Amino acid sequence: MSTEDPSSGARRPAVAVLFVLTGLCALLLTSAVHPRAHEVPAGGDDDGMPVLRAAAEAEGETPYAAVRQVTGPDGRPYGLRVVNRPDEGLVLAPVGSEDEPFVVEASQALESLDDRLLQMLRDTYRVADAGHTDLGGRPARLVEAERADGTVAGRFWVDGDSGLLVARTIYDQAGDPALSSNLTQLELGEGEWPDRAETGEPWGEALDAQERGDLRSEGWKVDEHLTWNLRLVDARATEHEGHKVVHAVYSDGLSQISLFVQRGKLGPGHASSPSGGYVGTEEGGTGISPEHDTIFGGDVGQYQSMWQADGFVFTVLADAPAGLAGSAVTALPSPEGSGFWARVERGLSRLGPL
Amino acid sequence: MSSEHLGERLSALVDGELGPAEHESALIHLAKCEACRFEADMTRRLKRRLHGLGEPEPDLDFMGRLSSLDGRPGGDGPGPFDPPFGGGGGFGSSPPLGSSRPIGGFPGGPGGLGGEPLAASAQETAGPATAAPGAPNPGTATQEDRGGSDRGGSELLSQLLNPFAGSRYAVAGAAVVTALLGTAFVAGGEAEDTPVVEPRLADYAVEHAVTSRHIPVETSPEGYEPPPGAGVEQAGR
Repeated sequence: MSTEDPSSGARRPAVAVLFVLTGLCALLLTSAVHPRAHEVPAGGDDDGMPVLRAAAEAEGETPYAAVRQVTGPDGRPYGLRVVNRPDEGLVLAPVGSEDEPFVVEASQALESLDDRLLQMLRDTYRVADAGHTDLGGRPARLVEAERADGTVAGRFWVDGDSGLLVARTIYDQAGDPALSSNLTQLELGEGEWPDRAETGEPWGEALDAQERGDLRSEGWKVDEHLTWNLRLVDARATEHEGHKVVHAVYSDGLSQISLFVQRGKLGPGHASSPSGGYVGTEEGGTGISPEHDTIFGGDVGQYQSMWQADGFVFTVLADAPAGLAGSAVTALPSPEGSGFWARVERGLSRLGPL
Repeated sequence: MSSEHLGERLSALVDGELGPAEHESALIHLAKCEACRFEADMTRRLKRRLHGLGEPEPDLDFMGRLSSLDGRPGGDGPGPFDPPFGGGGGFGSSPPLGSSRPIGGFPGGPGGLGGEPLAASAQETAGPATAAPGAPNPGTATQEDRGGSDRGGSELLSQLLNPFAGSRYAVAGAAVVTALLGTAFVAGGEAEDTPVVEPRLADYAVEHAVTSRHIPVETSPEGYEPPPGAGVEQAGR
């Protein structure tokens, strides 16, 4: 004869059902709340877009010389002497080291990239014309890019006389300036063009949608979106020592994040191999690793990281707030470990749904 | 008839095979003849003793070997030699095949599996049945009593195995998990043809600088002092 309370057997199913219902309610509540309310494209009238488009056209038509000051999150600016010749390109030389210029050659590819960047800016933020202001004693037009929650993500100053974009600042979510540039000592007219300079132009093999799809089917990570606000705006490829390298540019309209993907693995002597982690900028965009002497960035907000995962080597270079660059890195395959469970996890991901 | 001894009719009398008239005359003779009465008494005693011996128990090793020859775990259904006791039991509660014990333990034991044909075989092996079909088996009670201790051992073994009754599923699950982990481990290995590469970071920096209209990062200067009052924030609204 059982000494157990006969009613306890009936209570067990009820308790189990209560637990299940509680779990379902918790799941519904947590899934119903959007993780972050501002992580949606901002609506509203983009009345500032015509101002920015006009500034882009002026950049392609107006030769000038100036000093560009670039300031990172630490607030320490540095200067670049800039010479713009619309038909030839853009000369960039560090102030004090003018004998080491770098020339970005003019190309149709860059013009179309500017158009896509403006389109991405409009799609992500509300681009508002904030009216007239002054910048360094010169009249200017202020355009603000606002997030969905009304906070300012970026500001643009357009020179009232020349119509050139003379300053821009990108703000992080907290409202602090993350990256800014400002043209000073602006002189209209053709500046001095260097006799010798390192030149660069976009890699020649542009990848269209069909080619990107083919790459994805072969396992390449070339997504059209990394996050809700980082869209692919340009994809190109080249070959290094017979191996294809893909350069994918992602942007929210304010910042650019370059993703370089190469099939292969890092050598055993590489700094990231033993730890199986990232090499480069640490999380948060600070503390650049000294373990790899070719990855060094200035303190200007550049975010650099390199790792290997799923048979590919990923390298991210970004002129962006650390949070945005970090979200891009997080959206990519994580660095793979070398232990047993890391290999099992990698194998499960490759097997997919059985 | 009274002057002659009963002779062979004596055993017929004891077995109850005489007719009514012969049975009556034999009883009259026994009342008069002390020798026949003594012989009839001895014959009845011998018969009772033979009856008391019961069924011989089958040889266990022989039954184990016999059961190992039978590939079927149980009969197709009740047969003509089915014993009056059943042999129902759960799967997995019987000893392994080929052991010295018959499958399902002793006939009538708990958890027996396929005990019916084995019991029938045992009866056939031991000789003709001592009871007609449908009649109570006089040896059954004795045999059950004698098999009690063995059945108790079988129950004890079943109780010991019961905690591991689900272990079959656990072992099967562990085998599946092990196979899955092994497959994933093999699939997670690096491909033989995966090349070792050293990304050209300088080229990457140039490419990034071109698309962002900036200067490659490795040439970023240090120690630059901006002109005073040139910050964007100071010039803002």
